[in-house]
Amino acid sequence: MSEPERKRARITPRNSTANEVVPDEETEETAFATLHQLGRIIRPTSTPVRRPSSAGPLSGGRERNRTPNIAIRTPGSAARTPRGGPATRPITARRGAPTTPHAIRALRERLEAARTPGQNRRKSGRGQRETPRDTLRALSRILAKSTKPTVLSPDGDTQPPRNRNPALDDFDAGPDMERPRLSMPLGDLYDDDSFHEAPPRQSMLPDLPDDVDNATMQSLEFGRRALSEDPRRRFSTRLSGFGELNDLGPEPSEFEIDGAFINRRPRMDEDELLLGDDDVGDEFDDNTVELRALMDRRQSRLSELEGLEDDDEEPDDPTFRFIVPQRVLREASPVVADDEALGDEAPDDDAGQTEDGEYEEDEDDMVPPVPDDDDDAVEAEDDIVLDEEPDFEDPNEEVVAADLQAYREEEAAIDRSILPGPDPTTAKKAGRRRRELRVSKNGTEYPEFPSGVVKKLANGFAKSQGINSKISKETLTAIMQATDWFFEQAGEDLADYAQHAQRKTIDDSDVIMLMKRQRQINVNTSSFSLAQKLLPRELLQEIRMAPPGKVKRPRRTRMETIQEE
Amino acid sequence: MAPASGSSLYPRNTLKRIIRAHANRTLSKNVDILIFLDYTLFLQDLMREAAIRSKRDGERGISARSIRRVRDMSLRKFKG
Repeated sequence: MSEPERKRARITPRNSTANEVVPDEETEETAFATLHQLGRIIRPTSTPVRRPSSAGPLSGGRERNRTPNIAIRTPGSAARTPRGGPATRPITARRGAPTTPHAIRALRERLEAARTPGQNRRKSGRGQRETPRDTLRALSRILAKSTKPTVLSPDGDTQPPRNRNPALDDFDAGPDMERPRLSMPLGDLYDDDSFHEAPPRQSMLPDLPDDVDNATMQSLEFGRRALSEDPRRRFSTRLSGFGELNDLGPEPSEFEIDGAFINRRPRMDEDELLLGDDDVGDEFDDNTVELRALMDRRQSRLSELEGLEDDDEEPDDPTFRFIVPQRVLREASPVVADDEALGDEAPDDDAGQTEDGEYEEDEDDMVPPVPDDDDDAVEAEDDIVLDEEPDFEDPNEEVVAADLQAYREEEAAIDRSILPGPDPTTAKKAGRRRRELRVSKNGTEYPEFPSGVVKKLANGFAKSQGINSKISKETLTAIMQATDWFFEQAGEDLADYAQHAQRKTIDDSDVIMLMKRQRQINVNTSSFSLAQKLLPRELLQEIRMAPPGKVKRPRRTRMETIQEE
Repeated sequence: MAPASGSSLYPRNTLKRIIRAHANRTLSKNVDILIFLDYTLFLQDLMREAAIRSKRDGERGISARSIRRVRDMSLRKFKG
């Protein structure tokens, strides 16, 4: 009991003096200073290493610990209140004074622990924990009233910055010169009078008039195919190297045409003037292969009309005469076999013009508006052309004939033999009415895919694209050229696939593979779903039931029933 | 044969002959239908691209020029 008394006597005066000092000396100080002073007065905090929490019961201990805190914290006379006195402590009443030195020491430790700033901190974080942030906040509170936010100087006044930097005055000759920027122009990043007038755009590409997007897209697409697989290349090889010099691939030439450096309009007009209705339009100079082929076609048509024109050129070309009867002999037999296998078109072969009859009849039946392969049809077409552009016929012929003549003079005889343009005399001798026969890379002649079917299909697709106008003849010619190329490409691809599978025949799986590689068939779309979308029902049925034995007979009946619906 | 109105039938033998000439191989039975299907897809693609092109160029219909412009791209797309 005596020891707590002593301890209390020792503590309380200190508290009281501390509390008395503060109001006396530093009344005008800030809260921070006051607390700082207090912290100096208070004994340096020495928290015991371990707080003896097991020393007493919780409630009693807590109450005992709190009381001296109150005595300390209460300013001024608070320490003298009887509540804060040790006499009111319940622990003394409840428990006897610690007698053993261990207990005494424990009590002392507890009291000291109660006086540690930890408790203060726990109750309120102010005072002793002074951080730089608090200082700065206090400072900001002081400063905030008197200062203003910095405003950027307006752009108009050029004088102050120039005066600020006297070195620049030497550089600036006159007062009206532009103020140089030495820092980031924050205010006027997009100012008009800034010295960068416009951001540089498209330094790589010139200002292409309207084909810019597609041009770049194509240029990005270039690398997808090897150069050897370029279709134009392949066609040029098929046509045995006409355009090897001129045809360096389609794209550069197209770019030259498309670019801003070549005026495209007048060129096209020129070409239209020269080569009116043919497919030679505005790609006259870059698409040599096509031009040649078309010129040849044109030539064939012309020569059919007035066949004497080329007679002086052709007789020195013996291979040409041989081809035609060869073809008749060679193609007649497979066609007959084919028709027998298919069963329904065999009667057509009786007409002597083996596949011509059937072919034309097919075309006639399905697409009535399509002109025939007859000479009359050709003439009719040309008459139409004449009606459209009456002045063009003669210069057209002259130009084409001159070109063709020059070309035939410079090409080798082998090339000429492969050329699709048939000799009009031999054609007439053979009694064929076909407008032209193309020759494949293998030397096999083949007919052109009927343009009526293509036209119908293309019209349908154009309508689905929202274009209601009919496809013009010129457009159809371009599409037919694309068709020809497509079939050539597809045939060669299919042959490659079949060869890879060590088959002699092209199978369904080859076409499926082709369509897969064309990314037309994937997991979601099968060939059947595509066929369902695109093909007529008759053909669809044939694909679906992988047909054993006779196919066409049942197809006929089924087709009729469908049509009756 | 009865006229197939509306549907785009095609001369099968012609197509077979074309493919046979290019491939120098015989064709199995109904391959030509699949090939024609493939061709239809090609033509669809071609017409779609040409229509886009024509619209962008402000043409009314589909001109031959737009076809020629997109032809190579479509052909390359359909190179197997």
